[in-house]
Amino acid sequence: MLGAYSSEWVKLRRRAMLLWGLGGGLFFAVLATVFTVERAVRTAPLFPLRRGRVTFAELELPTGLVHGVVDVSTLIGIVSLCLFAGAFATEYSQGTMRNLLVREPRRAQLLTGKFLALATFIGVAVVLEIVVSCAVALLLAPGRGITTSAWTSSTGINDLLQATLHVFLASVGYGLVGAAAGVLFRSPGVAIGASVAYVIPVEAIIVGAIWSNGDRWLPGQLLSALAHGGSGDSSYHHSLITLAVYMVLIAAATLAVFKRRDA
Amino acid sequence: MTSSVVTSGLTKRFGQRLAVNAVDIDLPAGVVSGFVGPNGAGKTTTIQLLLGLCRPTAGSAEVLGRPISDPASYLGRVGALIEAPSFYPTLSGRRNLEVLTRLGRIDSGRVSEVLAMVELSDRGGDLVRAYSLGMKQRLGVAAALLPDPELCILDEPTNGLDPAGIREMRSVIRGLADRGISVFVSSHLLAEIEAICDHLVMIDNGRIVFQGGVDKLIDAQQSDIVATPEHPADLQALAELCVAAGKPARVEQGEVHVQAAEDWAPELNRAAMAAGITLRGLTVRRASLEEAFFAITEAERDGTEQDA
Repeated sequence: MLGAYSSEWVKLRRRAMLLWGLGGGLFFAVLATVFTVERAVRTAPLFPLRRGRVTFAELELPTGLVHGVVDVSTLIGIVSLCLFAGAFATEYSQGTMRNLLVREPRRAQLLTGKFLALATFIGVAVVLEIVVSCAVALLLAPGRGITTSAWTSSTGINDLLQATLHVFLASVGYGLVGAAAGVLFRSPGVAIGASVAYVIPVEAIIVGAIWSNGDRWLPGQLLSALAHGGSGDSSYHHSLITLAVYMVLIAAATLAVFKRRDA
Repeated sequence: MTSSVVTSGLTKRFGQRLAVNAVDIDLPAGVVSGFVGPNGAGKTTTIQLLLGLCRPTAGSAEVLGRPISDPASYLGRVGALIEAPSFYPTLSGRRNLEVLTRLGRIDSGRVSEVLAMVELSDRGGDLVRAYSLGMKQRLGVAAALLPDPELCILDEPTNGLDPAGIREMRSVIRGLADRGISVFVSSHLLAEIEAICDHLVMIDNGRIVFQGGVDKLIDAQQSDIVATPEHPADLQALAELCVAAGKPARVEQGEVHVQAAEDWAPELNRAAMAAGITLRGLTVRRASLEEAFFAITEAERDGTEQDA
């Protein structure tokens, strides 16, 4: 497994991977932070069109520092999903999976090592995104007259660390969905298209039109809730436990397909 | 002589299609064994079975004395190039090999060694997407050599190569055999296999139709004696003379082709002289591997049709 982990890092250091894997999430995180701080209003808006804006009071809470990043955590998760789906499916589509299986025929070890390397990469990306967006928030907030003392308090630091963990766990969860799609479909386009389509519009339609309680049970909704540290009807612990069951099932099914199918 | 690969009733079915049909192969160790057959005959599927990339429907096989049900027990001693060489286009040749050395826990120093073996040392730092097909094939062979293998399995290594590239590849393969590495090389180009192999396995429609030494195969085929009379007007008379001696003969492009063993050539020369025919040329033409292959496969098909 260490061999597979180490081998994957040679590929992860490619310029394109750094650009899209790290740069993609970083772009969303910084953009969201800039918008959140710059568009914040002193009092809650009365007009419906302006209700999306956060207030100064909300931003001045200890959780305000990562408000922007958490708001786009689903997009960060989608970047992770695409990265994992592409990393697995491309091995099949460009024929390199056979080379890998000749050098590491223990398929469970190959799959696990590759997954853990990608998860580590996503961990580095999430930390980088949060560090940079915090720096941006701390730079912009004084100019808008937003008080930041709560952000650097012990509660603020604790909330920051928790938010980092939540976004990371959710991103790895999105990644596992992408990895499963990559192994199943073996085509990057189909894997990314099908999994993104399921996680965003399909689940939204199910919840909106068919199953209103689905946001408590569907994996995409739960990943979003997890990234936010729990939301609406889905508490953090409910999301975490239900997702753990989903992830074990998805991982087991992916491993079974990967081990049994002809390469 | 020990065997590098032994299969027994090895079978692979994809849905209704029988890709590999009860194949029994025994490859001697330390020689270059050719695996020939037309496209779609089952060569690549057989190789994939030997490399643990797909599971057999029936039968068994051993590679370097280990069962193919446990590929981890022997693949560390096997190098392989499977079909078209596949690499990460946005990584350099050297980095592509590094992916495999890290994965297989192979000494990273081997990368420079194998790049030198295939004469890619000066281009190892270039991105693979900038490589020609010939360079990719050579990088594929370099990847196969990484574990310093006892057995090297090369699937169509000369595909897409120009004549100079084919010649280089032959030299690389002969070089492997000279170092004591068993080589199993597949190709649908029979002349290419004839030039480099000591041992041969022929497959057609998923079934093995011949295996043994290349010389044994060609010797088993009927050779032709080609006689050229000084005067073209004597062609017909010369052919009739052969037929009268019980040897089938035909006139073809100013020559008489006689189906007879090599040792009948002096007899023909004497008979022609006695009949007043002066020969300008008298040669023995041995059957090529291609002719031998078609003779065997046609005989097999005739046999199958008769059985049916």
